[in-house]
Amino acid sequence: MGINQDGKEGSLILLKQGAEARVFESTFVGMRSIVKERFSKKYRHPSLDAKLTLKRLNAEARCVAKARCLGVSTPVLYALDPVLHTLTFEYVEGPAVKEIFLDFGLNGVNQELMNDVAAQIGYTIGKLHDGGLIHGDLTTSNMLLQNGTNQLVLIDFGLSFMSTLPEDKAVDLYVLERALLSMHSSCGNVMDQILAAYRKSSKQWSSTWNKLAQVRQRGRKRTMVG
Amino acid sequence: MKVFEVDGSALSLALFTDVMNSNELLDAMQSATLEPEVAFLNASLVPDVFPVLVAAHKTLLAKSRETLTTRTLHSELVYNYSGSKHISESLKRCGISKDSTYVLVARFDASLDEMKSIEKLINGKEIDLEELEGRANQAQIQKHYKISGLELGISSLANAITCRIAARDAL
Repeated sequence: MGINQDGKEGSLILLKQGAEARVFESTFVGMRSIVKERFSKKYRHPSLDAKLTLKRLNAEARCVAKARCLGVSTPVLYALDPVLHTLTFEYVEGPAVKEIFLDFGLNGVNQELMNDVAAQIGYTIGKLHDGGLIHGDLTTSNMLLQNGTNQLVLIDFGLSFMSTLPEDKAVDLYVLERALLSMHSSCGNVMDQILAAYRKSSKQWSSTWNKLAQVRQRGRKRTMVG
Repeated sequence: MKVFEVDGSALSLALFTDVMNSNELLDAMQSATLEPEVAFLNASLVPDVFPVLVAAHKTLLAKSRETLTTRTLHSELVYNYSGSKHISESLKRCGISKDSTYVLVARFDASLDEMKSIEKLINGKEIDLEELEGRANQAQIQKHYKISGLELGISSLANAITCRIAARDAL
């Protein structure tokens, strides 16, 4: 049982393919939607594969729900299909922050917009971390700016997990820092603005900041335990 | 009364207020003598049609895979409207009780005659679905679905309910 792609009503148009999932555009009860299909990894043992895929699917749905509870804007989850391993989300109209920043790099920086976006990023991540949720893949392509409201929307909670450790929060921020440095260094120092906003919204700022300094020194995911 | 298309099937919805015979409706439904079969939803928990359509989608999917959790298609719709996996608790909360006066009626693939006979069954006044938003009990919805004020800042009540309906089985 696969997903049909023959161009009729309720069919899917492939938008992107990543390492873990394919993203399609479709309609759900008349609303424009995104269908994320986690595909099975053929190299895994089938029973393990089925369990793992389902576990990751449920974890992602839970994390999206948890993020919303914390006041973080995410696309609305419309449906979860455990048989087809798909999640159906609201289609958020608007560019990814990555595109906006790349545009800044090419055509000059709109400082007002830049400040607003950076502040929203910092504020949003602060709320997320304070709630004990780590995004796991903080890059500018996982942040959308909604048309009209200019509201920041976080997507792709496929690598998210619950943690209150400052180490995990610091690594989350570090991933974002590296991504910004590699892709958007022409935009100036965005990370400082983001961290300033994060500091204002997060109540556990000092422990996270100390850890971030440590993580920067050594690179991530390396404990000092011999 | 309005008909919505959900996955190739039609869902007819009608909203009634000042319903006097919910006692009888409840008995008829529970003894399986209700003809034709309908779903009775507690309309004060419905701020908008969309979450009902999401629950309907889930219901039709379960039916097509023969994985219904409750006994009938229409009781499944009521069960799926809940944010809780507890079946009897969900049916009690999202369905009607003996003293319900504000009811949303739903039926899948209903013919015009069937909808007319349903209207006759209900001793109440039919009102427009547009009134759902104004008559919804926000406090009750927030309590039942455990929606924080923080969440309402970034989302509508209908979207918050939709998320919970969709993610229920993953929680």
